[in-house]
Amino acid sequence: MPSRIQVPEPERETIAIGLEGSANKLGVGIIRHFPRPNKNSHRPPAQILSNIRHTYITPPGEGFLPRDTAKHHRSYVVKLVQQALKQSGIPIDDIDCVCFTQGPGMGAPLQSVAIAARTISLMWDKPLVGVNHCVGHIEMGREITGATNPVVLYVSGGNTQVIAYSHQRYRIFGETLDIAVGNCLDRFARTLHIPNDPSPGYNIEQLARKGKHYVELPYTVKGMDVSMSGILAFIDGLANDIFGGKAKYADDGSEITREDLCFSLQETIFAMLVEITERAMAHVGSQQVLIVGGVGCNERLQEMMGIMARDRGGAVYATDERFCIDNGIMIAHAGLLAYETGYRTSLEDSVCTQRFRTDEVFLAWRND
Amino acid sequence: MNDDRKKAEDSEALPALPKYLSEALDLKLISQGAEALVYFSKAHPYLPATLSSDVIHNSPISPAGYILKFRPPKPYRHALLDAQLTKHRTLSEVRSLYKMMLAGVHVPMFVAVDPRQGLIWMENIDGPSLKKWIWGQEEEIEKKVSDEDSRLTMREQTVKPTLVAVGHEISKLHFMDMVHGDLTTSNLVLRRKDDGSLEPVIIDFGLSQQSTLPEDKAVDLYVLERAFISTHPMHAEEYITWLLEGYLAGFGQGKKTAKFKAREIMKKLEAVRLRGRKRSMVG
Ligand SMILES: Nc1ncnc2c1ncn2[C@@H]1O[C@H](COP(=O)(O)OP(=O)(O)O)[C@@H](O)[C@H]1O
Ligand SMILES: [Mg+2]
Repeated sequence: MPSRIQVPEPERETIAIGLEGSANKLGVGIIRHFPRPNKNSHRPPAQILSNIRHTYITPPGEGFLPRDTAKHHRSYVVKLVQQALKQSGIPIDDIDCVCFTQGPGMGAPLQSVAIAARTISLMWDKPLVGVNHCVGHIEMGREITGATNPVVLYVSGGNTQVIAYSHQRYRIFGETLDIAVGNCLDRFARTLHIPNDPSPGYNIEQLARKGKHYVELPYTVKGMDVSMSGILAFIDGLANDIFGGKAKYADDGSEITREDLCFSLQETIFAMLVEITERAMAHVGSQQVLIVGGVGCNERLQEMMGIMARDRGGAVYATDERFCIDNGIMIAHAGLLAYETGYRTSLEDSVCTQRFRTDEVFLAWRND
Repeated sequence: MNDDRKKAEDSEALPALPKYLSEALDLKLISQGAEALVYFSKAHPYLPATLSSDVIHNSPISPAGYILKFRPPKPYRHALLDAQLTKHRTLSEVRSLYKMMLAGVHVPMFVAVDPRQGLIWMENIDGPSLKKWIWGQEEEIEKKVSDEDSRLTMREQTVKPTLVAVGHEISKLHFMDMVHGDLTTSNLVLRRKDDGSLEPVIIDFGLSQQSTLPEDKAVDLYVLERAFISTHPMHAEEYITWLLEGYLAGFGQGKKTAKFKAREIMKKLEAVRLRGRKRSMVG
């Protein structure tokens, strides 16, 4: 078990470096926290000293495999750490701790980055702090947007969760019963042979903007949970029909295009996500929504969530691609929050876990 | 309830009820739920006003007034999808309410429906939601005694019988092959009876469906379990144990074939829980 030591609240600035590599993005970031001016005030906003990312991009029609992704991370991590240090302009001595993603994620890429983190920690003689990737997203989202106690929709390639804070943990209210929303979009992009550069989701969003006809798809909400696999199978079937020469027609007689399919897929699955988020808001009595994770960059999702939140008298908070797509700075930030409350990860405990549930993390830094 | 009401009134841009209703009736917004706006009214929707107060007074049914549940258009989603969902949910809700009422499950009595507008009239259940009630009990117990042993004893005296009764009520639903689809502690209301005791009533059937599969019932229970863990984290396990106790004892009133069915649902529940823990979460 990782250990927590008794430490007083820091009265000086603290700095952390964070390494992220749980999927196909490798990120390194350096962050600075300032002490609270007095006991009754909030911590001043954190300062981002550097935030660098390198993405492993595969050819159209192909997903990223763990082994190749790990190889990508291994070959870029030293360069990224050097760049991040240089950009931050701070000497190594000033860094307080080395933070890394301990899970959840793909085994091999996680491990390759953990090895880099352990090496740096030993070389520089700085303590290690293992970070839950999802908690990293949530804490960074709160830091950037100023949302205090939002319902969080966490949507990425591997995760789809509706989360709310209670009793020092981020509790999962709803989630996908099968595949994640990002995975659903990525796989449909592969069916359509849409490029993976800069990301399949981004390219689907661009196509969807040109879609005009709404094609009816299955809609599967179960309480606060959703299911996506049936929708994907259905729309894959439609796409294969259309590109196999069996055209489909809309009510006005025009042919259904791939733009229409992208549009309909987004409209359907985003409506499901907004609906379960609204359910959670009603259940916990919250008016704020925070969207985090890679799919959170999608402007249509942000727009739909915004309309829902407005109708409830609340507001939506979202970040741009620097923070919602996997990055090192969020790992540095969440790690530093834990570090300041005395959390350390010893070398023996620094093993990565592919499954690491959001609600396993005890949030010593929150007591509201 | 008061909190909800305040919040509901605070939000400015609420979607409007059809005019013929809002102008003719004295409606009070009591909740902006997960998908619906819920209004309270003393008047019956189609009995003449002069008659209705009399009838209501002397009638054994529905002395607590009426609820108008309105599923407004959701402007965030595509109009076609929206119309289809509203109609579908409204109809499944009234179908299930009606079936369950006939089967003797405690649900609000259904009065009238307009599926295209997404409107349902039903009986008002006078009492707190299970969520608020548990929060209230926990607070009270915490204030009264300070050691965990005495607190547990008190929870066993107050919370346990209620949760056993809730489990029993849900077992009636499942025994009739009805799956609720959204069991949370907000969708269970405790009706205050004349003798002061509390009787669980199940509401919000928009996601309900008929199913004979043990798997679907297990998922229903799993959804409720998760609601307990996220909303009442301090004693969730204990609460779930009590609830399942009531569920198993109640299922089919202990008939032999029913026992077999219940066991199958429990087996599936185990499997669904395991699946939940194992779900891989990459990236
Ligand atoms: N028949 C009823 N009697 C009393 N209160 C009700 C009734 N129906 C709904 N409510 C209140 O309104 C809230 C929302 O109603 P619900 O049917 O659950 O709609 P939603 O689908 O929006 O959650 C409930 O949690 C409950 O507090
Ligand atoms: Mg409800």
